[in-house]
Amino acid sequence: MKRILIIALLSLLTTSSVSIADTVEEQILDIKTREIAKTLRCAVCQTESVWESNAELARQMRQVIRERLAQGQSAEEIRDYFLSRYGDYILLEPRKSGMNWLLWVGPFVLLGIGGVLLYRTLGRWVAQTALIKPEETLPIDALHRQRIEQELRSLEK
Amino acid sequence: MIRAWHIALLLGVVGLLTLFYKGLWGDPRAIPTVLVGTPAPTFSGPEVNTGEIISLNHFSGKVVVMNFWASWCFECQQEHENLLAINRRFGSDPNFVMLGINYQDREEDARNYLKVYGNNFNHVRDLKGTISIDFGVYGVPETFVLDQQGIIRYKQVGPIIGPVYTHLTEKLIQPLLQGPPPQAL
Repeated sequence: MKRILIIALLSLLTTSSVSIADTVEEQILDIKTREIAKTLRCAVCQTESVWESNAELARQMRQVIRERLAQGQSAEEIRDYFLSRYGDYILLEPRKSGMNWLLWVGPFVLLGIGGVLLYRTLGRWVAQTALIKPEETLPIDALHRQRIEQELRSLEK
Repeated sequence: MIRAWHIALLLGVVGLLTLFYKGLWGDPRAIPTVLVGTPAPTFSGPEVNTGEIISLNHFSGKVVVMNFWASWCFECQQEHENLLAINRRFGSDPNFVMLGINYQDREEDARNYLKVYGNNFNHVRDLKGTISIDFGVYGVPETFVLDQQGIIRYKQVGPIIGPVYTHLTEKLIQPLLQGPPPQAL
C-alpha cells in the first residue's frame, strides 16, 4: 500500500513538473516572440509593429516567429528571414549599413552644419555691432533734434 | 564671395528637395520587392475546390504565374477576367501553369467567388499565411511570374489590367515560354 502511495505521489510530482516546465517554455517563447515582433514593421499598417498590430498579416507573422523560435532559430535568423522576404522596409529600425548610414548620421550632420552656420552668422553680427563706435554714428541733424525736444516737452506736460 | 561650402550647402538643399519631390509622386504604401531574381520558395497546400494537395515542386521546369487573391478583394474581381484570359491563351502550353493562392479568406467564400466569377485553373489555400509571407506578400492582388528554372522574374502589386496585362502576356510570359528550356540538374 505504502509503495503504491509513493509511486502515485512521484507520478503526480513528475506530471506537474512537466506541465510547469511546458508553461515556462511557452512563456519564454511568448517573450522572445514579443521581442522580435516589436522590431518588425507591420507591412499593412505602417505605423505599428508586428507585435502591436491586430491585422491578420501581423498575427500570421507572430505565428511564424513563434514556430521558428520553437524550431530553435535565433532572433537574428528570424529577422534575416523577414528581411529576405520584405527587404529593409520590414525593420522598424534601419540596419546600420550601406546607404542606411545616411539615415542614422544625416540628421546629426545637418544639425552640425546648421549649428556652424548659426555660430558663424551670429559671430559676424556681433563683430559688426561691436565695431561701431559712438563717435562713428551720424550726428542728429537740427530738424530731428528739434522734433525730439518737442516730443519730450509734450511728455512732460 | 561664393565659397565652396556655400555651393556644397546649395547642392545639399537641392538634393533633399529632389528626394522630397520624388517621394511625393511615389506610392507611400509600396514596398520595394527584394525577391525578383531569387529562387521561388517552395510550398504546398490544399486546392480550394478539391482539397487535393498541390505543391510548387509539381511544376518544376514550367513557367508559373502565381496570383494571390481573396474573395473580399475588390481589385481581385477587377483583374479576374484577365487571369482567366491568360490561362485560356497559354494554358494549352505544357510548359505553362497558372496558380491562384487564396489569401486570408474563408473556404466557402473562396469557392463561391470562383463559382460566381468563373474559374479555369487551380487555387491553393494559404491556410496559415506562410506561403504569402514566404513570397513577401502584404496585400492582394499580387502576382508573381516564375521562369522555367523556378526563379521569380516579376512581381506585380495591384491588378493585372490594361497595360499591366499587355506587359505580362507579351513581354514576360510569351518570351519565357519561347525561351531556352530549363537546364538539366
